[in-house]
Amino acid sequence: MTETACDYIMRDYWLSKLFFDLQAPAAADEYRADRDTVLDRYPLKPEVRLAVVGEDVVALARLVNPYLLRFYFVAIGKSEAWFLERIRNTRPAAPNELARG
Amino acid sequence: MASLVGVFASSHAPLMARDWEAVDAARRDAISKTFSELARRIVEAKPDVLIVVSPDHWVNFFLDNLPSICIGVGETHKGPPEPWLQHLPYASISGHPDFALHLARTALDEGFDPSLSHHLELDHGFVIPLWKMGIDPLPPLVPIIVNAIEPPLPSLRRCLAWGDLIRAAIERYPGNLRVAILATGGVSHSIGEHDMGRIDEAFDHDCFEQFRSADREGLLEFLDRRLDAAGNGAAEMRNWLMAHSAAQGKGFELLGYHPYPEWYVGCGFAAWNLGVR
Repeated sequence: MTETACDYIMRDYWLSKLFFDLQAPAAADEYRADRDTVLDRYPLKPEVRLAVVGEDVVALARLVNPYLLRFYFVAIGKSEAWFLERIRNTRPAAPNELARG
Repeated sequence: MASLVGVFASSHAPLMARDWEAVDAARRDAISKTFSELARRIVEAKPDVLIVVSPDHWVNFFLDNLPSICIGVGETHKGPPEPWLQHLPYASISGHPDFALHLARTALDEGFDPSLSHHLELDHGFVIPLWKMGIDPLPPLVPIIVNAIEPPLPSLRRCLAWGDLIRAAIERYPGNLRVAILATGGVSHSIGEHDMGRIDEAFDHDCFEQFRSADREGLLEFLDRRLDAAGNGAAEMRNWLMAHSAAQGKGFELLGYHPYPEWYVGCGFAAWNLGVR
């Protein structure tokens, strides 16, 4: 996660794009059947791809919007309990990372 | 001119659709009664147009193009893309382009810069409250998407200003039209964050009290101080702020509060008493 000069989070674009695209059921089906082929279409940084393959919720949570993160793990078939156990190990966002009114 | 005939708010917890049975029968019945009361009031208001203010949950917009505010000006809107909502009777939803474009024109004239869409897809944030209320037929919808999902979000003060603007647009509309507003989302909830599933009931109750009794500055001060800690989903209270200012901050009435941990959301429902018929 990169914080910008104005204190907002810079997302990992291609990881976000992958998660966004997998909201389509057909795309999620293809991903579950042949993950590596789908991943090859996205220019993910090596460490990001490793986090995806390793289903590393803590690492991925730092890189994408929380809603997309949750969509992704639903799309790949992880149970709610599985996801909750891991997401609760992530650190809370610092105040300057949050949207301010 | 048109008239504002009703202002309402409703939570839109997705698990109401995906896992309705997770909540016991007594509490399901309680929230169903709240939806029925909300529906009764909306139907009683006899709106010709229903403005629905909701976020976009990564359906229409992505990081490529992420408007703070988008008005749906289409003749029709597409129903929800979520696979678990395909049984809802909303494959296509009628719009009201004349009023929507009037709203957009008014906004531009007043120094607001909304994005416009001629063909929005309305996700669960829009359709879950409509479905649970069971309003049939639906009046034509003018959707307003407020970015409450991906920072930076529109400021709380700007959302209040948007509510004022919506009211002004209604008052300046040349035709005879009855317009109601439904804000969706909130109250406290956290999705995909470290505290996912936490409901901040203290915040929710305090928030309702602020809507009921605080002036605009007091409400802004409260939300500025407390909103972030109530979970990322609480950012959707921006939509309630728009409703509140459109109602000129008067007559807030809590119709129901259902903090159901099984659905992760402090579900709140409200109406603003405008004193109109």
